Amino acid sequence: MDGVLFVLWVVRILFLFLLYLFLYRVVRTLLRDLRAASREPTTTLGRLVVVASPGAEPATGHVFALDAITTLGRDVNNSIVVEDPFASAEHAVLTYRGSAWYVEDLGSTNGSYVNGHPVDGVATIGFGDELQVGQVRFRLERPRS
Amino acid sequence: MPRSIRSVRPRWRGGEAGLLVIVALALLVGSVSLSGGLTGRLAVYDGETLLVYLVALVSAHLAFVLSGRRTDQILLPVMGLLGGISLLLMQRLPQDLVTQRWFGTDVGLAQVQLVWLVLGIAITAILGIVVRSDSWLRRYKYTWAAAGVGLLLLTFVFGSEVNGQRLNLQLGPFSGQPSEFLKVILVVFLAGYLSENRSLLMEQDTRFGPLRLPPVPYLAPMVVMWAIALGIVVVQRDLGAALLFFGVFLAMVYVATGRTSLVVIGLVLFVIGSLLMANLFDTVRERIDVWLDPFADPLGTGYQVVQGLHAFARGGLLGVGLGAGLPLIGGQIPIPEVHTDFPLAALGEELGLVGVLAILGLYLVLVERGLRIGAAAADDFRALLAVGLSLVVGIQAFIIAAGNLKVLPLTGVTLPFISYGGSSIVANSVVVGLLLALSDKGVEPPAPPSPRGRWQRLRHRGEC
Repeated sequence: MDGVLFVLWVVRILFLFLLYLFLYRVVRTLLRDLRAASREPTTTLGRLVVVASPGAEPATGHVFALDAITTLGRDVNNSIVVEDPFASAEHAVLTYRGSAWYVEDLGSTNGSYVNGHPVDGVATIGFGDELQVGQVRFRLERPRS
Repeated sequence: MPRSIRSVRPRWRGGEAGLLVIVALALLVGSVSLSGGLTGRLAVYDGETLLVYLVALVSAHLAFVLSGRRTDQILLPVMGLLGGISLLLMQRLPQDLVTQRWFGTDVGLAQVQLVWLVLGIAITAILGIVVRSDSWLRRYKYTWAAAGVGLLLLTFVFGSEVNGQRLNLQLGPFSGQPSEFLKVILVVFLAGYLSENRSLLMEQDTRFGPLRLPPVPYLAPMVVMWAIALGIVVVQRDLGAALLFFGVFLAMVYVATGRTSLVVIGLVLFVIGSLLMANLFDTVRERIDVWLDPFADPLGTGYQVVQGLHAFARGGLLGVGLGAGLPLIGGQIPIPEVHTDFPLAALGEELGLVGVLAILGLYLVLVERGLRIGAAAADDFRALLAVGLSLVVGIQAFIIAAGNLKVLPLTGVTLPFISYGGSSIVANSVVVGLLLALSDKGVEPPAPPSPRGRWQRLRHRGEC
């Protein structure tokens, strides 16, 4: 067999081999990534991030992991205590039903707001939406995965 | 000002660097293989072009390192490898397929493509570094939609016809394919619209036989979308774009609501629309006839598809080698429009089934990355945007690959990052740039105090 042709054939196969080496490395990284993600517990249904809070409790930037039913208000028995003069003792409740989050205003004096719109009874709230209770603004976020 | 400067800390990206080394090696070997196939000499074929391309990739990597953002490390190498394969293919094809005069010198196919690829890498790097907030995309979603519809109308009115398809828009010295940019705008708008109305779409109000539908007003966009897709087919004769837009739309609706009933309705609408189009328009019926039996008229309407199939057949398992494919037949390339519509057939001939599968694998990786970024996103808009952007590239690659292989009727969409064409490369680079921006894992928590001693701590205190 001609020497040059043989070398050329080797080069051709080497190119294909390098394509697959690249794919192999990428897929290995992807798998490691997926395994790491599946090891982390994802028991929470969502997270509530404090965007703005004039008082000390809750602190701005704090992240609450949410249960299926989470109550908000000034009373110490709430899941999330909102220490704000404009918040009622039992202000609002967040519930997870089916596959979506709902927020219910519990007859608070100053009302609850989703993206600036007052909540009338029960309203849906999506990930990325802002919830305001008293002067405290929260943002609903997906659980980390 | 000082604060933002100080918070920028270079961040080593080992994974990306390692993958880029493999990309550079593969492209070098590919270039040698190309030279062997074309000239019989074992040397790097047109090393300057390759060098410019690799320098652009490394510069993008260094820019990411310096910016210190925690973005995805796989997207850039994958895009780089696809673009590099495109460059090898364009170097191999006859250079006079495309000639342009820039600054008094004539430039051929490979040079023009190189310019677009480098521009694409620059766009990806800039978007991946600069875009930190998505609120400007989210807030102006109806503005985007209006811009998209305006673009579409411009093409309807001023578009020039090429091969019976009204795809090109000529604006002064620039010409481009608006549908490539339209797909990005469509995804942004849909992500905004669906994330806002997701909960409403999920409520089950209307009952229609065995199907449970959302409230009627929220179904309206679905019908509008269907009408737009049909309009594109009717006015532009652009089957590919219509298929792509409708496919992405259905996928995003499904991801947002998780309801199969909506997808079923969409598919039924699609079948009705296709039957209607096939009966009304000759071009559409011709495409379908060619798809069903290209050998009925192998030298006329079926010529392109038949030549494509022959190219795949000649390639076999391992291919004939880069640059060793069929030479010109009577001064003509064997497959018409090989550089835009049939690059996969050319690669199938020269790299074989093994090579084609690797290329399809690269697109799969791109889609998987996008879906992962979507799953890790903090809110619905980002999640839908990431999913939509990656699916738009994936579905487009599928449509044209399937068209080349006679799995679907042939349509005129481009193979992302590989086909020749500025609009396609720039639009797909925008997609990857936005995906990179969305993949940022957030601001790094402040570094813990170094255990290496007081000296650094004291210096740090002095700075504050």
